[in-house]
Amino acid sequence: MKIFYTIILSTFILTSLSAQVNRSIMPAPGPSPEINLEEPQQFVLDNGLRVMVVENHKLPRVSMQLAIDNPPIAEGNKAGVTSLAGSLLGNGSLSIPKDEFNEEVDYLGASISFSLRGAYASTLSKYFPRILELMADAAINPNFTEDEFSKEKAKLITNLKAQEKDVSAIASRVQNVLAYGKVHPYGEYITEETINNVTFIDAKQYYTDLFVPENAYLVIIGDVDFDNVKALVSTYFNDWVKASPPSLSYSRPRNTQYTQIDFVDVPNAVQSEIYVQNLVDLEMKDPDYLSAKLANRILGASGAGRFHQNLREDKAYTYAAYSQLSDDKYAPGRFGATASVRNVVTDSAVVEFLKEFNRIVKEPVTEKELENVKAEYIGSFVMALEKPSTIARYALNIETENLPKDFYKTYLERIDAITIEDVEKAAKKYFKVNNARIVIVGKGSEVVENLEKITYNGKALPVNYYDKYGNPVAKPNYDVILPEGVTIKSVVDHYLEAVGGREEVANITSYLLNAEAQTQGMTLELNVKKTNKDQFMQDIKMMGNSMQKQVVNGDKGYMTAQGQRKDLSTEELAKIKSESSTFPELNYTDQTVSLEGMEMIEGKNAYKLKVSDEKVSYYDAESGLKVKDVTVVQTQGQTIESTVEYKDYKEVSGILFPFLLLQNAGPQTFEFLVKEIKLNEGVTDSDFE
Amino acid sequence: MKRKIVSLLLFLLAVLSIRSQQVEYEEYDLDNGLHVILHQDNTAPVVITSVMYHVGGKDRTEGRTGFAHFFEHLLFEGTENIGKGKWFEIVSSHGGQVNANTSQDRTYYYELFPSNNLQLGLWMESERMLHPIIDQIGIDTQQEVVKEEKRLRYDNSPYGQLWPSLGKSLFKVHPYKDPNIGYMKDLDAATLEDVTAYNKKYYVPNNAVLVVAGDIDITEAKNLIKDYFGPIPKGEDIVRNYPKETDISLEERATVYDANIQVPLAGIAYRIPGFRERDAYVLDMISTYLSDGKSSKLYKKMVDDQKQALQVGAYNVGQEDYGMYLVFAIPVGEVTVDQLIVEMEEEVNKMRTELITEKDYQKLQNKFENSFVNANSSIAGIANSLARNYLLYHDTSLINKEIDIYRSITREEIQSVAEKHLKSNQRVILEYLPKEKLDN
Repeated sequence: MKIFYTIILSTFILTSLSAQVNRSIMPAPGPSPEINLEEPQQFVLDNGLRVMVVENHKLPRVSMQLAIDNPPIAEGNKAGVTSLAGSLLGNGSLSIPKDEFNEEVDYLGASISFSLRGAYASTLSKYFPRILELMADAAINPNFTEDEFSKEKAKLITNLKAQEKDVSAIASRVQNVLAYGKVHPYGEYITEETINNVTFIDAKQYYTDLFVPENAYLVIIGDVDFDNVKALVSTYFNDWVKASPPSLSYSRPRNTQYTQIDFVDVPNAVQSEIYVQNLVDLEMKDPDYLSAKLANRILGASGAGRFHQNLREDKAYTYAAYSQLSDDKYAPGRFGATASVRNVVTDSAVVEFLKEFNRIVKEPVTEKELENVKAEYIGSFVMALEKPSTIARYALNIETENLPKDFYKTYLERIDAITIEDVEKAAKKYFKVNNARIVIVGKGSEVVENLEKITYNGKALPVNYYDKYGNPVAKPNYDVILPEGVTIKSVVDHYLEAVGGREEVANITSYLLNAEAQTQGMTLELNVKKTNKDQFMQDIKMMGNSMQKQVVNGDKGYMTAQGQRKDLSTEELAKIKSESSTFPELNYTDQTVSLEGMEMIEGKNAYKLKVSDEKVSYYDAESGLKVKDVTVVQTQGQTIESTVEYKDYKEVSGILFPFLLLQNAGPQTFEFLVKEIKLNEGVTDSDFE
Repeated sequence: MKRKIVSLLLFLLAVLSIRSQQVEYEEYDLDNGLHVILHQDNTAPVVITSVMYHVGGKDRTEGRTGFAHFFEHLLFEGTENIGKGKWFEIVSSHGGQVNANTSQDRTYYYELFPSNNLQLGLWMESERMLHPIIDQIGIDTQQEVVKEEKRLRYDNSPYGQLWPSLGKSLFKVHPYKDPNIGYMKDLDAATLEDVTAYNKKYYVPNNAVLVVAGDIDITEAKNLIKDYFGPIPKGEDIVRNYPKETDISLEERATVYDANIQVPLAGIAYRIPGFRERDAYVLDMISTYLSDGKSSKLYKKMVDDQKQALQVGAYNVGQEDYGMYLVFAIPVGEVTVDQLIVEMEEEVNKMRTELITEKDYQKLQNKFENSFVNANSSIAGIANSLARNYLLYHDTSLINKEIDIYRSITREEIQSVAEKHLKSNQRVILEYLPKEKLDN
């Protein structure tokens, strides 16, 4: 009795002890759950159809999948024929008219879909026999009509049109073309023209050639009884005539010789679609298949991957950055890393992609990273077993990918055995850092300039230009065409009106400006004074000492720089005079300036006026305000471009002036904040002595 | 004797197949108001820990839209015991999966793990509820990420403006008028104080439900839940008093332009009752009748027979306070938006004026039975349904009984609900058109 008490007591203590969790410590996992890898039951029909059945009675439903694993086939100038032929399937059978067929499937609450690569159906188990029968009948004895054919053609064309401006549709087409070439089955694409080349006869022929049982698998999963399935399938698929598909071979596409950017201009894009790709020779049965998958997992196949962590979590360039590594038994597979990024960080994102790409090839991954991805793989493997379709998929892979029979039974062991060296070897083999194409689809006028500045391994990264179909083109000209009716006068008038009115501007007799900029921890002061009597003074001071001063008074003038004084020549004098006017626009005429077109400045249209051989000014098309001056000076055989951007316009005595001036010369940028502007006061003749 | 065994087996089988559709669960409240739902299913070694908070896009003040979705991002940044940026790594390095999503009404966070990590999942969700770290760095980073998400999902994607423009057209005063993801200027204007206050108000145990489902031991789960979630302090009661919309009684028209498309879309939209109302269930059936399957009325007529549309659809976007109902079509070739509107209205009008046939009615029932069976086919799906049914529908048992509601709807009721909510003077015509490039 006493003993009994103690036991109760100790259990009590135990439970209350376990109640005190320490939340500062991450809980450790419990013992690994047991897994139970079943195998589907199988049988083969005389015509070659292989059938797999997974009985699972948890829910009263059944799914059935017919998968035809044919080698890929190029459709050439009839691209789209496979898709068209597939869309003609499912319109009833030779014995059941289309409307009756659709009505019955819907009535039973089921669904069936078809393509030239197979069919899929799902149903409540009580209607399984009938749905299987309908699926088989519509697949083997399809009801092809010319009427449906022309309707599907029209739909396909409208669909193509709907995708014409879709950035991701364009991106995926060009990626394929550049990776595989246009004549390869994986590189060819559909156009309105190729669809129009397809005849009704073509579509029927493709069906006859390709929809055959030689490489076909039927997978039935759910609340069924194996013997019953066997009887039903044998009956319904008995008429499917034994035949093999045509076998064609294509020249194997190769990787590019050097890493490059391949750019496609889509002016409506608000993000750039970046895809870094190279081809790989990888099949599931390769001994280093799992090592390669783990390497890719570390690099970017999940949210914990390096790409996502760097480009999203650290830099916030994108919503998501991932990579895939695909295997393929018929043709090269592909490594691809992708992100949609905002226009302004396109070049930076490319740099980060390349950085990570290089790092995984050149440095071994850490023990911790490898441990983590192994756990991811093991977790996915374990959790996938929740779905009955998983064991069917595994069995199908063993057949179609020529895998050893115990591929999945030894899967966890093989994952566990992978070493850092294995991952490094696979990374070097499959991530071709020196033979990659960086396909970018985006708004050229905003991103190309910076893309051309990217260097890789010490050299400029070549940028090639392509159209939306992957054809090489010359670099597009991003100057915007001028709308009709815009003249020098209209630009000038709009500007003067925007700042406060021509008359008001003309009435200014003097102007005073004080501004400051910070550079290397020091304050740079800018003082400017001007009058309408050809008087001008500009003094730049650092820490209170004059660095550079220019003074013009009528037809005399001088310049001092760090204590040295020099009188201005007649030529220099004229130039300063012409440029020093507060509103030179008052004097612009068709003779003195020219309208050069329109360009995008920070994403907005701006008119471009050439005001001298050295200088152009930009005026915002919408607000009319001056946004930028660009001056080009030739000195000692070099061309130096300096720009001033005008921002933050504020009103002073009824007239708008920019209160933020961004001055850019060579590598330096000064940000002048205007402290004070005075009109018609604070300036005397003595300022210009 | 042998025959007896067979019939017994058959009987067992029959019982099994009925029982398997019944989702067993247990629910209770912690002292801090957290509602807990447990569902045990040991057939696969998987466990899910999920928390649904009753906070969504609509829970905001004017000028601070999109906060709930912003929090969906922010609450992965880290907690007092989970380092910044470590959330995803912890989950994946234990073989798990993680995600979250936000609607106008609620936010849902979950971790799916091999079942030996139940304690880890509970720890993480309790950390998030107890003491997330919210700082300026996290806010700055996630502001940019959300902007990219907006560009990706809405600005750069064909027909991406459809749902936001629908909200804008159907609501004048209720917060549903603004996009769930919010206006970017509002996010930019958000201060650390705003964000902290929002967290304190909504992300509290008494505004949430915790679901633990899968390969678990009920007693162990209960103890762990008490330990990890019990100490979290209760928050203030939340009062929601959003402005009511006045009924639409005159047809309205809205035009939207999208630079990412070439082919327009024609829509007829209606404001309908919230998803708890019986009428909303009836409208689900109307959607299925109109556009689900090749023999459905709109598909058959406009896509198949008359070949006017590439695609048609009738959607009931269920929401807590009011739903949005959209009937739409995308034209083939030269068919105009107005033609499509006329064709769609003809079918909607039939719903208002005629009874659907007995056969079509039976078809609807079969379809709903099929989707009911499929609705609860995964642990993750069951957890989501349990959380939603409790938190938003106020009835956890709907997971087993929802089908009874559909079964009880009659043909007459379908007609009268169409007549009540889908009249032509109550509609907003949506013209969704390609935006031509201006210059370049």
